[in-house]
Amino acid sequence: MTLPLLRVEGLHTYIGSQHILQGVDLDVPEGTVTVLLGRNGAGKTTTLRSILGLWKPARGRVVFAGQDITGWPTHAIARLGVGYVPEHRAIFRNLTVEENLRIAERRKGDFQRRRDFLFDLFPDLARLARWPAGQLSGGQQQMLAIARALVPENRLLLIDEPSEGLAPVLIEHLIEAIRALSVSLTVLLVEQNFHVARQLGVHYAILEHGRTVLQGRMSDLLARPDLIHRYLGVTI
Amino acid sequence: MKTSMDRQGAAFFLGWLVATWAPPLVVAGMTALREGRSLGDVLCAPGATPFSVTGVAVLTALLLGVMGARRWPEPWRGWVERHGWRLWTVSLLMLMPYVLAWLTRSSACRRGPAFFWESIFIETFILALLAVSYNLVFGFAGILSFGHAAFFGLGAYVTGLLMKHLGWNLFLSGAVALLTGALLGLFMSLVALRTRGLYFALFSLALAEVIHMLARNRILVHITGAEDGFVFAVPAWINPVRHRLLFYYLALVSLVVAFAFVYRLLLSPTGRVFLALRDNETRAQMLGFGPLGYKTFALVISGLLAAYAGVLRALLNKGASPNVLSLDFTMDPLLMTILGGTATFDGPVVGAFLLRFMEYLLRNAQFRVGPWSVNLGEHWALLLGLLFIAAVLLFPQGLMGSRQKGQEIS
Amino acid sequence: MTQGRPVSPHRRAALAAGLFLVGVVVIDVLLFPPAQVGVILLSGLYQAMLFFLVASGLAIIFGLLDVLNLAQGAFFMLGAYVGFGVYRLLGEGLALGLRFAAALLAALLIGGLLGALVERWLIRPLYVRPLFQIVLTLGLAMVIREAVRTLYGPAGLIPIQPPAPLRTTLTVLGAQFETYRVFIIGMGGGLMLATWLLLRRTRLGIIIRAGVEDREMVEALGIPVGRVFTLAFALGSGLAALGGMIAAPYIGAYPEMGDVFLLNAIIVVVLGGMGSFEGTMLASLLVGLTRATAEQISLEYLDTPLLASVSILLIMILVLLVRPSGLFGSEP
Repeated sequence: MTLPLLRVEGLHTYIGSQHILQGVDLDVPEGTVTVLLGRNGAGKTTTLRSILGLWKPARGRVVFAGQDITGWPTHAIARLGVGYVPEHRAIFRNLTVEENLRIAERRKGDFQRRRDFLFDLFPDLARLARWPAGQLSGGQQQMLAIARALVPENRLLLIDEPSEGLAPVLIEHLIEAIRALSVSLTVLLVEQNFHVARQLGVHYAILEHGRTVLQGRMSDLLARPDLIHRYLGVTI
Repeated sequence: MKTSMDRQGAAFFLGWLVATWAPPLVVAGMTALREGRSLGDVLCAPGATPFSVTGVAVLTALLLGVMGARRWPEPWRGWVERHGWRLWTVSLLMLMPYVLAWLTRSSACRRGPAFFWESIFIETFILALLAVSYNLVFGFAGILSFGHAAFFGLGAYVTGLLMKHLGWNLFLSGAVALLTGALLGLFMSLVALRTRGLYFALFSLALAEVIHMLARNRILVHITGAEDGFVFAVPAWINPVRHRLLFYYLALVSLVVAFAFVYRLLLSPTGRVFLALRDNETRAQMLGFGPLGYKTFALVISGLLAAYAGVLRALLNKGASPNVLSLDFTMDPLLMTILGGTATFDGPVVGAFLLRFMEYLLRNAQFRVGPWSVNLGEHWALLLGLLFIAAVLLFPQGLMGSRQKGQEIS
Repeated sequence: MTQGRPVSPHRRAALAAGLFLVGVVVIDVLLFPPAQVGVILLSGLYQAMLFFLVASGLAIIFGLLDVLNLAQGAFFMLGAYVGFGVYRLLGEGLALGLRFAAALLAALLIGGLLGALVERWLIRPLYVRPLFQIVLTLGLAMVIREAVRTLYGPAGLIPIQPPAPLRTTLTVLGAQFETYRVFIIGMGGGLMLATWLLLRRTRLGIIIRAGVEDREMVEALGIPVGRVFTLAFALGSGLAALGGMIAAPYIGAYPEMGDVFLLNAIIVVVLGGMGSFEGTMLASLLVGLTRATAEQISLEYLDTPLLASVSILLIMILVLLVRPSGLFGSEP
């Protein structure tokens, strides 16, 4: 049994005085899409941010590719090969599309190397390369955010609710894009939209009140609609 | 509930006041009768008078009383625990001229060392008043203002100029000065409401500087005296030289009243809303309270109090110069507030005393480092700047900050 | 669907500013003879450049670090003192031009170095208390000014001679204007261009502009934002110091020299929009030209240059009431 690319053990995180994560365990196997599920406020976004070091965990461990990265500064974690596509995209509105992509370079020439691949995957971006990113539509911004995470050689992508606020047509496009890139990358996806989650997720983990309650293969979860209803409030 | 608390409180404070003054006065009165002198003569005698000696005895007794607060019976115990130290400080300050007279073996009422120290205390009271007004805006309302000197300086200038050029009496001029302070606060709040803290800080800086420039400018020299400032005739009864003791009590009472006013204000229902707004503007907005209220509130009251401090200052100096409009009088209360503890009640006052007395003591201090002799006094401004930085970096809570956690409004 | 060509978000504000500039020039032409107009325009440009050098640092530092560096005026003054010191140190043997260039370089480097140290040791610890950061910079300004006053006395330094070609006067439209001031305009313009290129064309510039918007995301991209902060602060303080050294041969070197420039730089940054570099550029021109015009009008009719400062302040108050984020600033 190979080691998971990312392993989170007993993570506790406080935001101010609020005890948001109360013991999160997570295994993200390499080369697949793992979906992080849970109701609103369960701590999914906080988990991603704690992994990345944007919020320092109070207790617990985060191990990436065999290295203990708990408490590391964010930029160091990112440089190990962790990409982040946050909630609400967080693209740089005042920079052009191309500048948004260039800034993600970690080694000189990253963008040049990946240019064709990215513009094939997201043809709109090629056309809008010189536009200020703030003038793109929501869907295009989401594509840009994902493309940005693909510029450097990342091994793991942390994606937070990419489908939020997108029209169904765009969501389908999004699913295709993530499926395409998951071939060569490991993805940890937070997704409130179960329809998206079930199509992409090979593994899953469910959080409730800042704690992991269930983990495993998505196929197993889909066979248990009662659990899905109980923990996610979704009827399939 | 509240009224009985109020009546209790009033009784307590009154009792304390009587306890401070009655014994010394009685003893002094008896001495006067026995020796066939007037009360005034006894009080103003140099050195250790029956009045000052009794006064110190009373202060010692009160001090022991405050330190042993736990032994007081209910309901008085609560009052002592909450306000004991403050009250003792007020008593000390009330009797201070006579204590000084004893310590310096001079008279409290006539020229001499005690007299000189009284003026230092008066200056400190005025600065403390200014700091209390600043803290209302900075510590409680969370607004960083770099234009506070404008209130202070305008208070001084308006009072003096009205009396000098229009011949108005003190009360009318003073009232107009207070009004000016309040109106300026109102105007500034208009900008404060619409902008982020940073913009307001800069705006207030620019505004105060321009007022400063106007006062310095030769174009208005016939009115303001430009760079040199102006002097005016202070009414005889409040002359700070001849009736310094009276001025001392005026300044002290002003400070105490302002302090009590701010205290009561912030603990009142309106005040509590005010603080709720400060702590959570968005939530309060959702509850239906506009942020309008509390910022305007703070700036207007603060402007009024600072202008009042300016009036006292004009009287003390028998005039005003552009210095009172300069950044110095914004930086000083800012530093005092930080040193003493922002968002505490006592902080600004403690900070004012600390700073003023430190300045006085160091002004005449000399250091010998190797072959050089450094006169600290000349470089007081440098020390002040270093103190500033140290205060901000090392103890942003201020002296009273952590200690007052229990009493702090939050 | 996003079609067509990209639209500049600040078009309206830029237009308004442009119109205002034109308006000021028109007023000048109407009120004064051509010779004087030339002088006023050049004087306005000269002031604009000096304000820009102090204000650009303010804008960048504020945009990226959210810190209002009120010590910029002190850095400006320090640049002059450092420059003069280096100039004197190099002695008579070296050519004047070389000494002068060395002085400029020294001011830039030492100003930058000092800024880096200040950011690392004084500003960074206070990151969680933004109000106190501003207060700290104010305290720092005091300390620097007083330290200089203590060490060198309040009267200022003996002026130095710039290279001979800069000591002449030019005739512009029939009036005299010092070549050195044209030099200042040139240097200022050059630095403006250089900084603009830095921000627009280099990777560091992209990082700074991105960091102004969202420093967390920049960090999440693997870029150590802390180091960028220090660099940006150093850039800002270095520019201010260089500005001081450039100005000093003309205005003299004395402890209070930075104060007036800081005040005007603040007004420039507020007008232009905090954190916006283009806003700072445009607002510098606005403030410089308005000041020069108002100064001339004020001298003619009131016999004192008072109106210069008052007019600028009134404009700032107006802008704050109407559009608090400034010309190019992001919404408050």
